[in-house]
Amino acid sequence: MFASVDDVISQLNGQGYVCGKNIATVVYLATKLGKPVLVEGPAGVGKTELAKVIAKATGRPMIRLQCYEGLDEAKALYEWEYSKQLLYTQILKEKFAEAMAGATTLRDAADRIGQQDNVFFSERFIVQRPLLRAIQAEVPSLLLIDEVDKSDPEFEAFLLEVLSDFQVTVPEIGTLEARHIPIVILTSNDAREMSDALKRRCLHLYIDFPDEALETRILATKVPGIDVRLAEELVGVMQRLRKLDLKKTPSISETLDWARALLALNAGQLDEGLVRDTLNVILKYEADIKKAQSELGRLITRKVEAPAPTAAPAGGAAAPLATAAVAPPQAGAAKKGVLH
Amino acid sequence: MEKKIIEFANLLRKSGIRVSVSESIDSFLAIDELSFDDREVFRDALRTTMVKRSEDIAGFDQLFDLYWSSFYDGLRNAFDQAQGQMGGEFDLEKLMEALKQGMQNMQGQMDLSELAKALLTQDLSQLEQLIREAAQSAGTERIENMLQIGFFTRRTMEQLDSEGAGKQLRDLAQQLREGGMADAQVDALLDMIEKFLEALRQSVRNFTERELQQRNFDYMEKFRRESLLEKSFYNLTEDEIKRMREVVARLAQRIKNVLTIRKRRLKKGKLDLHTMLRRNAGHGGVPFELIFKHRKKDRPKLVILCDVSSSVANVSRFMLQFMYSLQECFTKIRCFVFVSELGEVTPIFKEKDINGAIEKALDGGDVINVYTRSNFGHAFHHFWQNYLSAIDQKTTVLILGDARNNYNDPRAWCLRDITNKAKDVVWLNPESPSAWGFGDSVMDKYMPYVDVAEECRNLKQLSKVIDRLVL
Repeated sequence: MFASVDDVISQLNGQGYVCGKNIATVVYLATKLGKPVLVEGPAGVGKTELAKVIAKATGRPMIRLQCYEGLDEAKALYEWEYSKQLLYTQILKEKFAEAMAGATTLRDAADRIGQQDNVFFSERFIVQRPLLRAIQAEVPSLLLIDEVDKSDPEFEAFLLEVLSDFQVTVPEIGTLEARHIPIVILTSNDAREMSDALKRRCLHLYIDFPDEALETRILATKVPGIDVRLAEELVGVMQRLRKLDLKKTPSISETLDWARALLALNAGQLDEGLVRDTLNVILKYEADIKKAQSELGRLITRKVEAPAPTAAPAGGAAAPLATAAVAPPQAGAAKKGVLH
Repeated sequence: MEKKIIEFANLLRKSGIRVSVSESIDSFLAIDELSFDDREVFRDALRTTMVKRSEDIAGFDQLFDLYWSSFYDGLRNAFDQAQGQMGGEFDLEKLMEALKQGMQNMQGQMDLSELAKALLTQDLSQLEQLIREAAQSAGTERIENMLQIGFFTRRTMEQLDSEGAGKQLRDLAQQLREGGMADAQVDALLDMIEKFLEALRQSVRNFTERELQQRNFDYMEKFRRESLLEKSFYNLTEDEIKRMREVVARLAQRIKNVLTIRKRRLKKGKLDLHTMLRRNAGHGGVPFELIFKHRKKDRPKLVILCDVSSSVANVSRFMLQFMYSLQECFTKIRCFVFVSELGEVTPIFKEKDINGAIEKALDGGDVINVYTRSNFGHAFHHFWQNYLSAIDQKTTVLILGDARNNYNDPRAWCLRDITNKAKDVVWLNPESPSAWGFGDSVMDKYMPYVDVAEECRNLKQLSKVIDRLVL
C-alpha cells in the first residue's frame, strides 16, 4: 500500500495519472482509515480513472458497479437465482417424492419440506452482484461505485449498511461479513445531491478542472508524442474555452481527445482554421460550437502573439519533439499564410 | 490541537457548513495519520473529512486561512518587532543569560504568573493559549461590531491580568538590580518588558479583530444563503438573478428526480399471468420467467398564463425557467404571456435555449406589446375567445400574476369558463394574501373560480407549488 502522501503521488504517476497533493492526501487517508471516498466534480476530469489507477497501483482487482436509475438490490447486491432453484426442483422431483413417502397428512408433508428449506436458500443459489462480490472477495479488492448520483435515494439508503459496516444481511442466510475491507470509491457528477448520511460516512474529494500547469503535465503524460509548444497552446485554448458560458464545458478527456486528433492530423501549431475544423472534437453541442467560433479570435490570438517570434523559425526547421508529427513544410508555410 | 480542531469545526458550523461529530472525529483520525509540517496536506485532510459539499469548499478555504494562520504569525510578528525596536547595542541572548543567572540566585523568592513567565521566555504558543483562554472568559465570541473591539480587548487584557504580570516583571527587574545586576542591563530589561507588554496588547487586539471577522463572515454567509431561497423576487439584484438561475436549475433537477422515482414505483405492477403463461409455454408451463404488468400514470397537460408586466417580471422569469426545465415532465405545455394583450410563446420554448427563450418570452415574444398597462380581464377574454379549446379535463391551468387590473373590468366569467373545462386552475400571486382585493387588485373577484391560490414571493414558495403541481 502507500507509505505517505508523496508515495501516493509517485505511485499514481507511475500508472500515468498526474495528480496534485489534494487528491493524494485523500487517497492516502482512505487507505489508512478504511473509509469510502466520494469523488465529485464535472464530467471527464478523471474520477473513474482515479479508481482504476488506484486499483492498478495497489494491485487490487477492481469491481465496478455502474449506477443508473432503477438500480436495485437485486442488481447491486445479490439475487436468488430463481430459474436455477426451479430447475433443481424439477430435477429433484423424485427425491421430493422419496422425502415425502410415508407422510400421511398434508401438515406432515409440509413440515418435511420445511425442514429442507435451507437447501434452496443457501449460497449455492445466490447470484453475487458487485457489492457482495467485493465483500466476499478472497483477496482485498477495490470497489468502484460509478455515478452514484444516478441511482435512487432508496438505493443510497441501503448502500449505507454496506459502506459503514462492510456487511450484507441476507434474510434467509444471515449476515455475510467482509473477508477484507475493500477500498471504496464512489463517483458523482452532482446530478443529485447525495444524502448527508452517506456523505458523513465518506471522505469527500472534489476534483475540479486542472490549472494550466497541471493540465499541460497531464497532456504530456497521456499523449507522449505531443510537441511541448503545441501542448501549451492547446491547454491555453482549453482554459479560455472553459471561461465561456457553455452548455457542456470541455474537460480533460476532451483535451486529450483533441490532442490526439491534432497529432493524427500532423498539426504542428494551432491556428484559427485548424481550431475551427476540429472544434467538434471538444464541444458536443451545436450552440456551443457556434459560440466558440464567434469567440475564436479571442481564444487563440493571444496565444499566437506571444510565441510568434519563436514560431517563425520553429515552423520549418526545428522538428517537433513528437516522432509522429512530421508536418510537410508546405503545409506549415500555408498555415503561416493564414496566420499573418 | 484537538481543541483547536473542535473550535474550527464549530466555526464551520456557524458559517453554515454542516460538520457532524463523527466527521470531526474522522478529522482527528486523519490527522493522526499525517505529519503536520505540510500545511497543504493538513488543509486537505480537514477538508476531506469535514466538508462534503462542493459548494462549501470556497467557504472552508476562506475560514481555514482566517483561522489557522494569522494569529500565531501575527503574534510572532508583534514580538519580533518589539525586539527589533530595542536598538542595535541590545543583545537579547546576553540579557537572557544574565536573567537566568539572576533568577537562579533568588530561586523561590519570586512567584511569577504564567503570563509573566511566558512573556519573559517568549513562549509564544503558551502565550497564544493564554490569550485564547482569556478571550474565552472575556466572552469575545459574542463580539458583533467594530465598536466593541476596544471593549473586548480591554476585558481580555484584564482576564489575562497583564497589569499584574507587568508589575511582577518590573519588581523582578528591581530585585535583580538590588541583586547586583548592571544598571544598563536592568534598564534594557525594563525597556524590553514594556515593549513586550505593548506587543501583547497589540496581539490581543488583533485576536479580537480576527474574532470579529470570523463572526462577520458567518453573518455574511448565512445571509447570502438564506437570501437566495427566501429573498423576495422583487428585491433581487442583477447578480443575484444570475446566481438564482443555478439554484432554480438544481431545484428543477430535484423535482425531476423525485418524479422519475415515483414513476418507477408505479411501473412495478402485479404479476402478468396472461403474458407469463404464454411466454413460458416453452418451458412446459413451468414459470421460469416472471412477467409483471406495467402501470401507467398520465403526465399532466399544462397551460401557463404568465403576466410579464414589469411588476412581476422576476417571478415570471423564475417560473418560466422552472417550466422550461420541467418540460419533459408534462405531456404538453402551452405557454401564454400577457400584459393587456395575450399571445402564445410555446414555439419559443421549443426553438430556443433556456436563457434565450425566457428573455424572449418576458419581452413579449414578438406577439404582444409589453409596454402597456395590465388588463387581466382583457387577456382572459382573449384567451377565452381563441384558445379555450386548448383546455380539457387533463389540463392544469397555471396563472401567474398580481391581479392588479388598473380598475379595468375583471371579466371573471372568462375564468369561470376556463375553470369548468380544466382539471385544476392554480393561481400564483407574488403579493401576500392580505393585499388581495385591495386597491386595484381584483384577486377577490377571481378567487371563487380558482382551485388553488398561493402566495409566491420567493423561490421556496415557488418550488413548493411546482412540487405539488407535478406530483
